[in-house]
Amino acid sequence: MGERTRHVPQANGIVSARWMSYLPAMPGKRMAEVGPRSAWLKVWRAGVPLALDSDEAPKTRRLTDDDFSENAALANPEGWEQPLDVDAWTDERLISAVRRDPPDEAALDALVDRYWKPLFARCRMLTLNCQKAGDLAQEAWCRVLRARHSLKPDGNFPAYLMTVATNIWRDFNRSARRAGPLANDRLTSLDAALPGDEADTIVLADLVPDLNALQSRERALLKLDIDRALEQLTPLLRDVLVARFLTGESCAEIGERYGRTEQTVSGWVREALRQMKLQLEESSHDAVQTMKA
Amino acid sequence: MKPEIPIGQLLRWRLAEAEADAPAAPRAARLIALARPWWEFWPEQFQSMVERLGRIQVAYAHAMAEPGPSRVGHPVLALLIRTTQELETSVRVLYLNIREGRLRFRFQVDAPFVQEQNSLDVTFVCNESQRPVLSTNASLSVDNEYRIDAELPEEIARVWTPLKVTDPMPFRLILRTEMHRG
Repeated sequence: MGERTRHVPQANGIVSARWMSYLPAMPGKRMAEVGPRSAWLKVWRAGVPLALDSDEAPKTRRLTDDDFSENAALANPEGWEQPLDVDAWTDERLISAVRRDPPDEAALDALVDRYWKPLFARCRMLTLNCQKAGDLAQEAWCRVLRARHSLKPDGNFPAYLMTVATNIWRDFNRSARRAGPLANDRLTSLDAALPGDEADTIVLADLVPDLNALQSRERALLKLDIDRALEQLTPLLRDVLVARFLTGESCAEIGERYGRTEQTVSGWVREALRQMKLQLEESSHDAVQTMKA
Repeated sequence: MKPEIPIGQLLRWRLAEAEADAPAAPRAARLIALARPWWEFWPEQFQSMVERLGRIQVAYAHAMAEPGPSRVGHPVLALLIRTTQELETSVRVLYLNIREGRLRFRFQVDAPFVQEQNSLDVTFVCNESQRPVLSTNASLSVDNEYRIDAELPEEIARVWTPLKVTDPMPFRLILRTEMHRG
């Protein structure tokens, strides 16, 4: 457990009845009546989750600190750290703690750590740039924090986070697009059906027998090639490709978001795949030629 | 051997590589600081702007009472903030639509020099409570129009959803230029 999640000092002291308010099954019962260490532990173990579920993470830590500092007999019972280890908390409990005013920093750190890498990776696929991906991911977190009071602890938080980041990126591109060349006429031309589904596979010449067996140089080259191929796509097609293959959205779901039919989106996906394939095969061919030379 | 690899698999592989290359996560304290809205950093400045917005009501009362041309709504009072300058003005609402919690809003600012700004930071201040309800970016589009497409807080979205472009708006605006945002 990291230093920042170690909230409870290893001290001893006198038992208190602090946890009793969280235990409706034992109303009004004083800690003195509950008894010594084993009884305290029982109350504490039951009380901590209830206190945490009541959005009272900082208070829970403080009460635990107080108990430990006042009662020598408690002496760090086995497993005492576990309920307060934010890294082990469920999303639901972390979100409850983050929704508070001010948000619980330890819980936020744990939540950010838990989802930073997948969020960054998604942003990287959209922006194709490390710096921009970091900025986008950070901005997504800021938006989530500003709207934290409306977070639903029992919702799908990682999906929400990805959606926030993707929406920011889409908003940015929407603004850029208004002044740019991606106009409706281009979208309309994509409505036409494209032949076959053979475009969704790519022959990577003799270079890639197995994605998992790539040497570091080949790995770096392939990453560059994929990035270049994605870069050739319009933001719309890149968005559709990411939504279809990485988010797992159906063409109908994507279409609903764009106000287009499932068929239209299906055409966009095929067009994106066709362009990707073309670009990747060119890159692959170039690489083979270079290696032969 | 010429293996055929589905592009979906390539993309998932690239995503996994990007995940492996991710830099360290930012700390919570930094995110909390970054997420704080500007009016919390400068509460006195914000308060003075809100008071000034309240005062310009008199000057624009006439315009407020009479809607503009048929397709344009009531003017919305606005305070335009440049580096050291505050300009009392109004904006013409050209389009307003709230759907699925998103605000789509187009407007023109009645101040000639504002069109030099490619984007404005727009803070919506509730007429009734005088509290800020949304701060977002508006980007300059064709015909000197500024466009906003932003997610609204749930409560605000619920209250504003019935609004039509020709209705008097329940908010005023603080428009901050890039220079002022610094």
